[in-house]
Amino acid sequence: MILRSIKLILLFFLIISCEKDDICLEGSLNTNRVSIGFINMEYQDTTSINLRNIRGLNNDSIIHTNIGGKKLRLPLNISSNKTGYILDYNDIVDTLSINYKAIHQYIDRGCGFISNFIIDKSSENLNNLEGWIKEVSIAKDSIFNEEKTNLYIHF
Amino acid sequence: MKKKQIYIFIFSLFTINFIVGQETTNKEIDSIVVKKKLINIDKLSIGVDLYKPIYSSINNDDLSYELITSLRIFEDFSIASEIGSLDRYIEDENVNFTSTGEYIKFGFDYNLFNNWTGMDNSIYLGMRFATSSFNNKIDSYTLRNPDSYWSNNVSDNYETINHSNQSANWIELLVGIKVETINNIYLGISLRLNRLLSNTTPYNFNNLYIPGFNKVTDDNSWGSGFNYTLTYSLPLNFNKKASKK
Repeated sequence: MILRSIKLILLFFLIISCEKDDICLEGSLNTNRVSIGFINMEYQDTTSINLRNIRGLNNDSIIHTNIGGKKLRLPLNISSNKTGYILDYNDIVDTLSINYKAIHQYIDRGCGFISNFIIDKSSENLNNLEGWIKEVSIAKDSIFNEEKTNLYIHF
Repeated sequence: MKKKQIYIFIFSLFTINFIVGQETTNKEIDSIVVKKKLINIDKLSIGVDLYKPIYSSINNDDLSYELITSLRIFEDFSIASEIGSLDRYIEDENVNFTSTGEYIKFGFDYNLFNNWTGMDNSIYLGMRFATSSFNNKIDSYTLRNPDSYWSNNVSDNYETINHSNQSANWIELLVGIKVETINNIYLGISLRLNRLLSNTTPYNFNNLYIPGFNKVTDDNSWGSGFNYTLTYSLPLNFNKKASKK
């Protein structure tokens, strides 16, 4: 009787200890990048563009992303409310600066936190006078997915 | 090969008989035992958990401790309680946080072990109702982000918040043993299975750890724990004739 009940309890412990780990499943919510489109000032229409390279401001390494296309997706700095990018187009360098609010959202133990962003509309996105970027317009200020284009660069 | 298996089979039959035989002899002894008074408060045990203070001092946390008391009221039945205070830095998968808090557990132990005369060891089953009041302070976390161009470690802003005034209730089922090592001094261990009854949810976080309950997993209200106990037993000889066999 004693042995049996203790065995039973130990067995129960064994089963409990075999429960699944808290893993983050693929397809769970994730931190998204900012999507940038390009508008040619001459034709007033979205167009693809061939940038030479992109660096983050105050960061020496090149951002690896799909450069030649209609849409550019760039990672935002999750622990700042401002990220600058140096965009090289035909050897002309220009700086794009995005102001935003990073909102960190808790998912669960496996996934931890992700970040959503709200682009600050009041802030002007700066550009050099002699650069190739003429204007920056905000199309959608909240970044909860990567499908919608958030910013347009006019050139 | 075949022979060996046959021998094992025959041997296993003997062992079954042996176990059954032992139980029957035990029963015979039980029937001889003189019936005692129903309520017989004769022993108060006080003790500490050895594991928690050692763990906390090794890991440079504030001192954690657990005080244990039990009062034997029937021959095999004691009411028991644990009171503890805990401070622990926890490195979880994504979030590092410090859990601090106090807890109280209250319930009973039921002894299943038949001692020889003069000995006082026990193998016991028990149950506790427990409640804890605690804080979980997030120290740092790694943000989930497929892009690692910028650092994804957050250590002193955003959600690094102290989630205070949290509380939880749970039930524990436990099995333990207690052995008298020196006169009236016992060493023991107990394993505990915890079932969470209620737990507060802080804003934009979850209580991944509850002092006393230990790790809380998502979508699962079961947990587990253990303690190593050192207890001192105080004989309460209200009734001298009944207290000694």
